[in-house]
Amino acid sequence: MAAELSLDALRDEIDKIDEVIVRLLDRRARCAYAIGRIKHEQGMGIYEPSREATVMGHVKAVNASLEGPLTADAIERLYERVMDEARRIQRIESERQSESKSDRNEQKQD
Amino acid sequence: MVVVMKERASGELVERVIAHLVELGMDVHRSTGASRVVLGVVGSGKVDPRLIEMMDGVHEVLRITEPYKLASRTFKPEDTAFNIGEVRIGGDEVIVMAGPCSAENEEQVNATASAVKRAGAKVLRGGAFKPRSSPYSFQGLGEEGLRLLENAANTHDLKLVTEVMDISQIELIDRYADIFQVGARNMQNFTLLRELGRTRKPVLLKRGISATIEEWLLSAEYVLSGGNTQVILCERGIRTFETYTRNTLDISAIPIVKQLCHLPVFVDPSHGTGRRDKVAPMARAAVAAGADGLIIEVHSDPDHAMSDGAQSLFPGQFDRLMAELRIIAPAIGRSICLEPVARRGWSA
Repeated sequence: MAAELSLDALRDEIDKIDEVIVRLLDRRARCAYAIGRIKHEQGMGIYEPSREATVMGHVKAVNASLEGPLTADAIERLYERVMDEARRIQRIESERQSESKSDRNEQKQD
Repeated sequence: MVVVMKERASGELVERVIAHLVELGMDVHRSTGASRVVLGVVGSGKVDPRLIEMMDGVHEVLRITEPYKLASRTFKPEDTAFNIGEVRIGGDEVIVMAGPCSAENEEQVNATASAVKRAGAKVLRGGAFKPRSSPYSFQGLGEEGLRLLENAANTHDLKLVTEVMDISQIELIDRYADIFQVGARNMQNFTLLRELGRTRKPVLLKRGISATIEEWLLSAEYVLSGGNTQVILCERGIRTFETYTRNTLDISAIPIVKQLCHLPVFVDPSHGTGRRDKVAPMARAAVAAGADGLIIEVHSDPDHAMSDGAQSLFPGQFDRLMAELRIIAPAIGRSICLEPVARRGWSA
């Protein structure tokens, strides 16, 4: 389908797809943020290699079923970036919660 | 920081390194290549690269930021220049500091000050407290030496640089000198450096005998971090396997330091070689390599000097050297004592 469209039409298509991707990345980031809060409350570490491996396996399987130009390695490299950012979101949230907790503790002492 | 994992390091080892870095509050960017994993590590956490390098599966850790901050060009891209009275350090003019190794008596200090002034020096150097390799060598005149040096500097309209060896001497030397000199042996006397950082007087920081450029700049960082921004770095030769010269003058340090750091760089060709006949060639090379100034030992009567006679220039040799430097400096866009003080001096 895509191969028969003109350059302008293809670029339009990419802009539309990017909008959907960013909206989905936003939804994903909100989930990661919520998970970060739960991890912090339950005293869990931010980095969970086994969970990251599961996520990676899942997206690779989905990608394989599509039989498109993206190889498993390519999906891995892309998802490494996605997970790097999720970890960062959780670290910032965790630091913020720790700070506000220590602020409250200081106020108690006053 | 970039952590390069060993080829075919197992996933578990990579995970352990990431987990440790995340625990330290760092953000990790994992890049999986065909045969090895590279981790980009950013953040404000405190990480000792050597500890990471010790972890299983790690091939090497590359630091991408310098450990010194205030001294680095990244922090301050433009050259540091400042005035001591009308003498501008770090400007277009190459500033020459000259004088005896140590103040011995009034006549010697005055005769030497007069000679170096005539030849075009702007700052008088001279020691009152001498850190000698042997405790039985001449140790300097102390405060009496400071008085002699200050008088000679005032009489001949020179600024004065003299060495401070210990924090207990700072207050005293502050009353006499315009520049504190920290000797090579004290380059890592961090208590002294911190205390000098609290003063607001220029500090001439010599490179330690076996100090790397990074260690030298970290020492400058101690002074800068106290709020004293007027630091002059001084290359004075480093210990190598060569025994012919006292030290090996590291000329290459000049362009390297000037690239890494914004502070003015001076060179001491006297200690750099330890031999009078090698002082002039090294001084010429230093100016040609971009030094902002020189500090040279000159003695009115080197053969009877109480310290470092062998590396002290005769006044006539110093005069000749200055004339040569007046030819070299313009070739690299610098000036050096353009007013021919010397000629006026001789004709008078």
